[in-house]
Amino acid sequence: MTTPILEFENVSRSFKKGRTTIIPVLQNIDLAVNPLEFLCLVGESGCGKTTTGKILAGLLAPSDGRVLFEGQDVAKLKGEDYKRYRRSVQIIHQDPYASLNPTHSIYNILSYPLFRHGYVKNYAQARDRVGELLQRVDLTPVGDVIDKYPHQLSGGQRQRVSIARALTTNPSIIVADEAVSMVDVSIRISILNMLMAMQNDLAVTLVFITHDLALAKYFAWKGRIAVMYLGRVVEIGRTPEITENPQHPYTKVLLSAIPEPDPDRTRTKVHVALRSEDIPRLTELPPGCAFHPRCPWFVEGVCNTHIPQLAPVPRNLGDSDVACIPLTQGAELKLYES
Amino acid sequence: MATRSSPVSSASSIEISLLDRILDRWQKINSNYVVRTIIQALITVWAVITFTFFLIRLMPGNPIQVYVAQLMNAESITYEEAYGRAAAQFRFDFNASPVEQYFDYLGNLLRLDLGDSIISVGTPVISQIMRFLPWTLFSAGLGLLVSFVTGFVLGMLMAYYRNSPLDHILSFISSLMSAVPNYIWGLMIMVVFGVQLQWFSVGDLRGTYDPRLTPAFTPEFIFDIFKHALLPVITYVLGTVGSWMLSTKSSTVSVLGEDYVNVAEARGLSERRILTAYVGRNAALPLFTLLAISIGFVIGGSVLIESLFVYNGLGNFLFQSITGRDYTSMQGVFLFITFSVVLSNLLADLLYARLDPRIRVSGEK
Amino acid sequence: MTTQAAPLVSQQRAPLSGLWTALRIFWLGVSRNRAGFIGFLGIVFYIIVVIFGPIVVPFDNEVKLDEIAAPPGTRIQLMTRSENVNTYTTLESLNGKVVGVIGNTGGPKLVEPYEDTFEVEEYRWQAGRGIDRALEELMDGDIDALVIFSQTVKDYIDEPEQAGNQNLYTNLAISNPALGPAHLLGTDTQGRDIFSHIMNGGASLIFTALLAGLFSTIIAFSLGAFAALIGGVVDRTLTAIANFVLVIPRFPLLVVLAAFVQLNNFILLATLIALLSWPSLMRAVRSQVLSLRERDYVEAAVALDLGRWHIMTREILPNMISFVAINLIFAVTGAMYEQVGLIFLGMAPINDYNWGVMLYFGRSRGTLFNPDSAMMVLAPVLAIAFFQVSMVMFARALEEIFNPRLRSSL
Repeated sequence: MTTPILEFENVSRSFKKGRTTIIPVLQNIDLAVNPLEFLCLVGESGCGKTTTGKILAGLLAPSDGRVLFEGQDVAKLKGEDYKRYRRSVQIIHQDPYASLNPTHSIYNILSYPLFRHGYVKNYAQARDRVGELLQRVDLTPVGDVIDKYPHQLSGGQRQRVSIARALTTNPSIIVADEAVSMVDVSIRISILNMLMAMQNDLAVTLVFITHDLALAKYFAWKGRIAVMYLGRVVEIGRTPEITENPQHPYTKVLLSAIPEPDPDRTRTKVHVALRSEDIPRLTELPPGCAFHPRCPWFVEGVCNTHIPQLAPVPRNLGDSDVACIPLTQGAELKLYES
Repeated sequence: MATRSSPVSSASSIEISLLDRILDRWQKINSNYVVRTIIQALITVWAVITFTFFLIRLMPGNPIQVYVAQLMNAESITYEEAYGRAAAQFRFDFNASPVEQYFDYLGNLLRLDLGDSIISVGTPVISQIMRFLPWTLFSAGLGLLVSFVTGFVLGMLMAYYRNSPLDHILSFISSLMSAVPNYIWGLMIMVVFGVQLQWFSVGDLRGTYDPRLTPAFTPEFIFDIFKHALLPVITYVLGTVGSWMLSTKSSTVSVLGEDYVNVAEARGLSERRILTAYVGRNAALPLFTLLAISIGFVIGGSVLIESLFVYNGLGNFLFQSITGRDYTSMQGVFLFITFSVVLSNLLADLLYARLDPRIRVSGEK
Repeated sequence: MTTQAAPLVSQQRAPLSGLWTALRIFWLGVSRNRAGFIGFLGIVFYIIVVIFGPIVVPFDNEVKLDEIAAPPGTRIQLMTRSENVNTYTTLESLNGKVVGVIGNTGGPKLVEPYEDTFEVEEYRWQAGRGIDRALEELMDGDIDALVIFSQTVKDYIDEPEQAGNQNLYTNLAISNPALGPAHLLGTDTQGRDIFSHIMNGGASLIFTALLAGLFSTIIAFSLGAFAALIGGVVDRTLTAIANFVLVIPRFPLLVVLAAFVQLNNFILLATLIALLSWPSLMRAVRSQVLSLRERDYVEAAVALDLGRWHIMTREILPNMISFVAINLIFAVTGAMYEQVGLIFLGMAPINDYNWGVMLYFGRSRGTLFNPDSAMMVLAPVLAIAFFQVSMVMFARALEEIFNPRLRSSL
């Protein structure tokens, strides 16, 4: 088994609100990102996927637990090792209008890291390398873009610059946080395809964070999907497995919400009947499984008292790991269907 | 902080300390907006009082020492005699320790005893203040009112007809007006209209009313009061109306862009109703905080305006007491002006809270 | 490997491109914004005057009785006894006579330099309040003639009842432009050229205001950034101090402090003004830094390991430059207001001759009320007013220019 490139060991993260309120945004997450894979983090807003992304990218430290980079604890990395880790992990932000400094030209934005880390020695080299990067992200002709300022570019173009910037340090893993959600729909696919091509050409591991399961399905067909709910991973598995044969009731809910192009299919699709529509607040999480107040499989005395851990589902059901006690312990369950 | 190169916000100190618990309890008491605002105002007042105490008594070469030396020189009396007289006028017991003096001073202030005036011997400072205060309140208040109303109306016009020639002209004028210091306006009025064009007699308009008239509620006297307040009021208005116009415009423009205004327009409400009920009210809200600040500014600026026009208000009194080295009056007026500024800030905050439901409910600003 | 070598390599100006583009944007913005352009021209004009004014027009400090002044055209009035009417029509005809002179300050010292001019037997100085006595002396034959130069005084003497308030006769400013070199703005109560005072009287005021504005901006900027970056107790304490200082009425406090501290040093004055005027900018800087450091591009710079120095100077600071520049200008105008206000009241140094001191003398020597000597007050008033207006117009134009939405249209 290969060493994961990044691994979460029991990672939790909380934020303080006011003086005495603690918001547990992430709780006890175990997650491994393997080299050269596509991993999609999927969940509704507030489920902690952005925080997970920031911890993955090393922009936020966990309040508890460890993050391992190629098997080494990130918090203990020093000197060259730390710098290599820092350069190896890059992030692409959601908002292309906020992620580029308006006071710098595209050339400056892309050449700062090149000079800083010694990838280029002089101006001519920098121009060439920046040109290469811009071509890599399909911003051509390069001369039209290189000396412009971010406000002179469209949202899609900016997002490409943002991707090019992430590539300046030759990273081995890129965290894309909702990287296409603010880009025009017509450009999304081309950016997604570009990211996929990048993975092949540059040997980059991609962690793609999105709230859109349909997007994840398209993007990470050869990879894996991790579904998050209120600060925990509730189901993780290979994409075809998750999308065709979801196990966790929450995953089923998410999937049933995807509109299908075929109206017959949409009409005949299984709709999961939730016991409640309300998502609990992070500050007032229910005891036991956080999903139990809404879960159609709720088992009194189990779900509201025990916190479920990720475990493989029985082989006769599927091939993913879920955090659901009744499911993994093989209880007889009947889904309420509408 | 975000700029360190190691992982950011390693705020793993998520534990709640004892200090946090104490502060939290305090915050619960403090969470009431009204209570919090009042407590802050009281703390400010206390700090200014304490600052003045140190300035007047404990600083080397402080006014009391200066005054004692003056008395000894002027009236060739002994140090003890001079010191005794100074102590009586400044209301302090020089045998007492500094701490006792401090508490005596606080006690005197609570009883509104600000000492005796040094120039007008035997007159309590507080009665002097009460004599001059109404004139400042009258002239500065009138000026502020006229300027606020004019500025608000013109600012709304500018916002409503934004990017029209009217807006450009008014914008230019308001920038111009807010740029020129108010006392410079006063000087210009005086030199151009008073001395050169002789539209009015500068000398006749000195003071707060014609000394030949006896104060009474006669039309003649009231007219005379307004006549004497005219120049200061015009000066206050010229000095502040420009910034009222600009702030009203910017707050109105931002309100005009709000969805609820568009919806109101789409619903076919009359323009007048939209302007008064939707735009005006919401545009006026942020101006109340500005109002509080400008009250302080106007009272502060009254030193210049009133001494320029020899208008016998608090500002001119402060000027006179400083030129005459009347330290007790100076201290008294300064404290009084500060209190009124703090008070007006407080009132504006409370008014703002009453008008803005967001603050009223959440207690946050 | 690039194929688009041609557009890529425009090497000549690229290293400077940031600064160059900034200057270009600045110029395009300023030249498009009419008010801003006027303000910009005004500031350039003031800079030229402050630097070259003293060289071109040296400070006129020579007291000249015969040029004691008002605007060009003011007549000399000679008062004589009735039997001598029409005898003394020019100053020369006063040779060998005992002449009384009316002015309000300077006394005999003013007359001394001119004692030989017309071989007058004796000048007798009469202070302004002495008009009645001077007239008595004239009637009694103690003096042969009384030289006065002002319309106001003539009015008083011609028709004492109708000349209005008696205070007015303290306002002597006397002029005879015919006798001296042309004075663009006339001369002051001591016959000194007002234009030369305007040209020379700006430097110290503007310097002090700039210094105060700079101090205040530096204090505000460092405390604001410090509070925002450190946070916690430091932040709370600094914010509380700022809120406290903000509430104290600044000008009255300055006036009171001026009674304790001799403000005879402009650095001290600038420091004092700065110490009282930083809080509002500090709060604005604090919230700016707080919001800037949360920006995605700062986070990206952290991820790219660009270093703390780069992030502070290249990512955060450039986004505050315009904000700081604009506030610096407003701080300078504020300092100017307070400084001139203090000088006008006589609370700040008057040993240095500047526009503020001209105002102070204009008021304390009463020329303010003399229709013949309006320029002595109007000239500094307009100089200060136009300075403030230029600065504010320029700052408002900057506000618009540095607004990125507007910039994209350039």
